[in-house]
Amino acid sequence: MPTDTKRVRGPEVSQSPSLFVAKPAAVLPSHGPRADGRQRDQVDVRPVFVRCGLVSQAKGSAYIEAGNTKLMCCVYGPKETERKDETDMKYGRLTTDMRFAPFSCPERGSWIQGSQDKDLSLMLHESLQPAVCLHKYPRSQIEINVMVLENSGSVLAHAVTCASLALADAGIEMYDLVLGCSIRQDGSSYVVDPSYAEQNNCSSVSSENQGGLTVAFLPSLNQISGLQSDGEMTEETLTAGVRTCIEGCYKLYPVIQQALARAVSNATFPPSES
Amino acid sequence: MAAGFKTAEPLEYHRSFLKENCRPDGRELSEFRTTTLNIGSISTADGSALVKVGNTTIICGIKAELANPTVEAPGKGYIVPNVDLPPLCSSRFRPGPPGEQAQAASQFIADVIESSEVIQTEDLCIDRGKLCWVLYCDMMCLDYDGNVLDACIVALLAALKNTQLPEITINKETCSPELNLEKRHGLHIHKHPVATSFCIFDDSILIVDPTSEEESLATAELTVVTDEEDRLCSLHKPGGSSLTGEKLQECINRATVRQREIHKLIDKVIYSVKTAQ
Amino acid sequence: MQLSTIPPRSYVISKSPSAAKQMTSSTLDRLLFLHGGGVMEVCGSSSVTLREFGCEQSLLSRPDGSASFIQGDTSVLAGVYGPAEVKVSKEIYDRATLEVLIQPKVGLPSVRERSQEQCVRETCEASLLLSLHPRSSLTLILQVLHDDGSLLSCFLNAACMALMDAGLPMSCLFCGVTCAIDTDGQIITDPTAAQEKESRALMTFAIDSTERRVLMSSTKGSFSVHELQQCIAVSQKASEKIFQFYRDSVRRRYSKTL
Repeated sequence: MPTDTKRVRGPEVSQSPSLFVAKPAAVLPSHGPRADGRQRDQVDVRPVFVRCGLVSQAKGSAYIEAGNTKLMCCVYGPKETERKDETDMKYGRLTTDMRFAPFSCPERGSWIQGSQDKDLSLMLHESLQPAVCLHKYPRSQIEINVMVLENSGSVLAHAVTCASLALADAGIEMYDLVLGCSIRQDGSSYVVDPSYAEQNNCSSVSSENQGGLTVAFLPSLNQISGLQSDGEMTEETLTAGVRTCIEGCYKLYPVIQQALARAVSNATFPPSES
Repeated sequence: MAAGFKTAEPLEYHRSFLKENCRPDGRELSEFRTTTLNIGSISTADGSALVKVGNTTIICGIKAELANPTVEAPGKGYIVPNVDLPPLCSSRFRPGPPGEQAQAASQFIADVIESSEVIQTEDLCIDRGKLCWVLYCDMMCLDYDGNVLDACIVALLAALKNTQLPEITINKETCSPELNLEKRHGLHIHKHPVATSFCIFDDSILIVDPTSEEESLATAELTVVTDEEDRLCSLHKPGGSSLTGEKLQECINRATVRQREIHKLIDKVIYSVKTAQ
Repeated sequence: MQLSTIPPRSYVISKSPSAAKQMTSSTLDRLLFLHGGGVMEVCGSSSVTLREFGCEQSLLSRPDGSASFIQGDTSVLAGVYGPAEVKVSKEIYDRATLEVLIQPKVGLPSVRERSQEQCVRETCEASLLLSLHPRSSLTLILQVLHDDGSLLSCFLNAACMALMDAGLPMSCLFCGVTCAIDTDGQIITDPTAAQEKESRALMTFAIDSTERRVLMSSTKGSFSVHELQQCIAVSQKASEKIFQFYRDSVRRRYSKTL
């Protein structure tokens, strides 16, 4: 690997201290209540905190906090497209870039965008594209940048929600908001909006019905714009899972609506104190 | 009308304010924007801080890892500071590897750490010649509205003060390190360097804490870093229009005042975090 | 001088009269370089001591301007290209775009070089009249030949000489001076690498030729305000010598070639 000359470099190799922990990490139980007190097998999403319009430089921005998962999204554009050679100029281009801050995960991440980030960027792109009225923005591009400040599970689902909120904040015309929700199937039981530990926990003895599912959902149109699943699940489990995710999205919906309404009213009637 | 004037003639627009000894955002020439500080908000990091100077937002997360010290300095650890200016924070930055500004900022922070001896790398040594800590200090800009260097130094200092390293012992029999995550201890902060940035307008007018617009219109930039003993840790002026001795003294005086303010602010926030726990 | 008066026709090897001019100028500069060594003796007797320094201009044929600058064992080679066509992405509508590239002796440029590039670029931007060449590009390449301390000041001096050689319009000249404060509080100008290593603080200033003011400042280590002022004063004094050297070298060069 060529050395990175554009950053202050540290030692050639360094190891995470978690490798040397004397006690092995406690295995999460696959029964009973979850570590953060939420219920298993129920649509128990983490309470979310959302705000719009925090970044002064961006056209639209949003911040979402669900449990310890913290994400920020900025939207720039519509501006003139950089790639003039694109064949279809009738529609606008949507670009997505999702990155993890190096300190966002329990293990320190690399500075260079990994394949995981690229995969997530692509999935985010595919989930959002159907909701944006791209025919209204010919020859232009809209940039969506997502930064994960702290990863505590269900990053993609929250990124979708956050990005759609930022798009709305930027005044980009959309058919509907896009909300994301994910579940983690673990044998016969499932957890909604899994945390980082739950997401990476594959302790269960049975290898059947193990997997994760993320759904991007347009609530008022009642359509699914993105669906991502990994692992092995039976057909019934998967359809039940999708239904659960949709339910989870509906739980988020009023919170997102309120945040948006608040941002709009703040913009029209600027608060007196600032 | 005013908005049109601002877009068409940004320099004239600023000059008309500076003539009246004030700035477009209502500040005086030597006035900082409101600085807010939030410490320890990122639980995945060993230490973290979020700083807002006006609209400019910087988050600093510190991750500690273990490594072998170099042969030349067997009793020293590493501090690896990096500034990231992602495309998220402003439309002027492109995705990809860090640009010149981010690289110069990283080097500046590294120089300040070395010059001020905020942390002595000897403190990061665990087992001489065998094992030491590496502190990866990543400063990320979330909203770019000028004066990132000042905000980065505040974020770094606050995050370093917030950092709790797990206790580590070397097992005598296996010669491998063992970690106790429950028992953590803070770092020893030797100095409190604080940066104060200035812009020179039209080769003569000095303004403090410039916004991104002021930075782009200014003829020179200058950053002074001082510590609590009023020693200068850095006088960084990458170029631009020249500066007289009196003006320089003015900058240094302003910087020492700022150092007191920030030092107090950090202590206050750390105290409030402690009492909340 | 005699060579340039010979009509080009009688020339067999050289194809153009400009080559003849180049030949003379480089030989002249060699002489000048020796003269630079002579300046050193004068430096040694006064309070501000600089190492032996010398310069050679127009030593490269490809760039529009070039110079090598030597301070003791530190040596830098500079080349300037431009004004030339600029990339659309880098175009500035009312002035020229200046790019500075620093090439270390071995390996690829790292973050440190990037920071030095920024310092040199902004210093040059301040002295060059860039608005005379809008929408064009200037490229300055600095190649480290040997580093024995005071590298940044050597970059600045080489850059200024190369810009002069390229005939670019400037509002003033500039020079770089490095000062080190050793453990006894003594100020050493133009330190060697060993002196830099032992020093408690290290400062590099760029001084302009018209008012002797500080154009650029880059420091390492901690120091008091008083020490800073002393160092600036010493640098200003030292800059006189360097500017005198600039003047002598240019005068010598042009008095014979023109």
